[in-house]
Amino acid sequence: MEFTFTEEQNLLRESVRKFVNDNYHLETRLKQAAQGEGFSRKHWKTFADLGWLAIPFSEDDGGINGTSVETSIVMEEFGKGLVLEPYLATVVMAGTALRLAANSEQKNKYITGIIDGSLIGTFAFVEKEARYNLNFVQCAAVKNGDSYVLNGRKSLAYNAESADFIIVVARSSGAVADENGISLFIVPANSDGLSLQNYPTVDGCRASEVHIKDVKVAASQLLGEEGKALSIIKAVLDEAIIAVCSEAVGAMELLYKDTVSYTKQRVQFDHPLSEFQVLQHRMVDMFIETEASRSLLMKATQEMADHLPCARKTVHGLKAMVGASSKFVGENAVQLHGGMGVTEELRVGHYFKRLTVIKTLFGSEDYHLEAFINFSE
Amino acid sequence: MDIQLNKEDQAFQKEVHDFIRDNWTNAKATDPLSRYMDWVKALVAKGWTVQKWPKEHGGTGWNTIQHYIWQKETSVANAPGLPPFGVSMVGPIIYTYGNETQKKQHLPGIVDQSVRWCQGYSEPGAGSDLAALKTKAELTPDGKHYIVNGSKIWTTMAHTAHWMFCLTRTDNSGKKQEGITFLLMDMADPGIEVKPIITLGGNHHVNTVHFTNVKVPVENRIGDEGKGWTYAKGLLQHERTGLAGITRSAMALQDLKDNAHRIPDGNGTLADNRAYQMKLARLEIDLQALEFLELRTMITVSEGKAPGPESSILKLKGTQAQQAIAEITMESAGYYASPWGNPVGLKFGKGAMNKYLDGRASTIYGGASEVQRDVIAKRVLGL
Repeated sequence: MEFTFTEEQNLLRESVRKFVNDNYHLETRLKQAAQGEGFSRKHWKTFADLGWLAIPFSEDDGGINGTSVETSIVMEEFGKGLVLEPYLATVVMAGTALRLAANSEQKNKYITGIIDGSLIGTFAFVEKEARYNLNFVQCAAVKNGDSYVLNGRKSLAYNAESADFIIVVARSSGAVADENGISLFIVPANSDGLSLQNYPTVDGCRASEVHIKDVKVAASQLLGEEGKALSIIKAVLDEAIIAVCSEAVGAMELLYKDTVSYTKQRVQFDHPLSEFQVLQHRMVDMFIETEASRSLLMKATQEMADHLPCARKTVHGLKAMVGASSKFVGENAVQLHGGMGVTEELRVGHYFKRLTVIKTLFGSEDYHLEAFINFSE
Repeated sequence: MDIQLNKEDQAFQKEVHDFIRDNWTNAKATDPLSRYMDWVKALVAKGWTVQKWPKEHGGTGWNTIQHYIWQKETSVANAPGLPPFGVSMVGPIIYTYGNETQKKQHLPGIVDQSVRWCQGYSEPGAGSDLAALKTKAELTPDGKHYIVNGSKIWTTMAHTAHWMFCLTRTDNSGKKQEGITFLLMDMADPGIEVKPIITLGGNHHVNTVHFTNVKVPVENRIGDEGKGWTYAKGLLQHERTGLAGITRSAMALQDLKDNAHRIPDGNGTLADNRAYQMKLARLEIDLQALEFLELRTMITVSEGKAPGPESSILKLKGTQAQQAIAEITMESAGYYASPWGNPVGLKFGKGAMNKYLDGRASTIYGGASEVQRDVIAKRVLGL
């Protein structure tokens, strides 16, 4: 286990940081979010050229054999710029499902396509009635000869409007909440019967409801073993949680630093706000919350990289802690910016939005506390 | 937390584990005091009292992981540490700033634990604002002695100590951090009077110490006159990190989790109480983060680098965690938390309320939490 970063990891961080500094100013980011698909294909191409899309994939699959540590580095720096490109949906979520479950033919097509930037994918697992329960799957897959027919609806599939393929979680057998009987299907986005209802999310990202009506999927599109997908889904969620928690740590760091700078220049009662001890201590607590989350994030990524059985428990703890920390840091960044904090003009509000969205993704604080308590290896 | 160990460290872990098992866990002595004394004797015999010191002065030469293993194994076995005053506080100052005579006179007594020390820093008018201290040391006209007058307070174990390391004022003319002189005082000297202070938990650990014309030989001064603050300051940071006690808190939390299954709660046990479990879970998550933070700091320091800004968090958060543990332990004892001396109730809850009450001191001593926040605001955030 490592407690510091390697030279290569530091270089990766530097290169992502440079990209974000050069390309992600608030104005350009807001403009980009509001137009077209809500992100830049040009940037996506850059990601491919720089090898960032290859990070988690094995060398055999054309990747660079990175671990959660590298993914976390990229996402933390992305978090400092509120990067819009579909890295979470495509590389982290669809990518994890593919690298854990795909056969060689599927890997050839989809992983290669992700790495070279030609394919965008997403992972459609959310259902309205399920809340955060991963085994509660109503979307149905019925085998018919050498194909499956899918029916149902999936929610909040990130960047589905841009996706070339959607990995759909569907029930191929069993009762609605059974752990067995859940399967994954790689559904081409242009399949007949598949329709999307696209919408922006509060933080300027894009997501979709995926309506699936009698969609016929070839049996060759089944991803992994039929009925045995739950463990894959859990692994996808672990990686997704690491990714958004990394983003959150990056965003929290930016927020406490922005708040420190702002209070140094804002004068009230004839003094810069930064001279008031009550505000100084608040900012210290913002810093502490950020660093505590960062430490737990590093522990979680190392445990994931080392494939330790306790890693999932740490991931549950991490999501719970980041939920609480990001609320504290985000709310106080807004509070200390005063009236300006609640406007769209300053960037703090936008980071607060992203943090608030992250709190709701992949399980709330309460959900993960429960999971932490119930965890057994 | 679990870390992967190489063969050498695994062998070391076994050695530590066996040592603790033989000399603490399966100790022969049954009364607490002799058990403790035997444990100290074993540490002395093994050469493990001043682990972090340079080897030439009796240190072990362990690497960071080995220090962590020791910390972990002693925490798991609940084996007591040695009083910090000699081992972690004055010892390093003597071998860093003291002269050869002072090293020869004082270090062996710390290594073999025959000499007990106490720390004369805080004063009635100088708590968190330590540099405001007033205890006066005046050089005699012949230049052979300092005459010390004044008072120290919150002096832990002054009533059993043989020696005190003491900050005194020899000059008032400059900034208050200047003109402070670091003296070693023999507690048997005439003019030193120790009075007990009983804390909320009913315990006598701390004292006030009054000095009336105490004659201290000039040979007992560490380093230069007026430079005592510089010597003491480096130590304060070290003291703060050492006060975090995170591994010990993590073990105490494990005990709380295990005990919850044994504590009756109507038809079930306390383990069935979700609110209680949630509270434990939050604390466990905090401690996991802190443990990793502490390891990060230990590794950085072992690589010869200055600990990063994150290390300043350890004292602040670590003592909060200790207090949370004490509070939950008390809560888990229910009605049985309050009987004085705990003549009734469950064994684990013994003294729970007293510990909770005395434990309020941990966010006050070694630089109150508010002072820690001031330090972080200034040094880390640049406010």
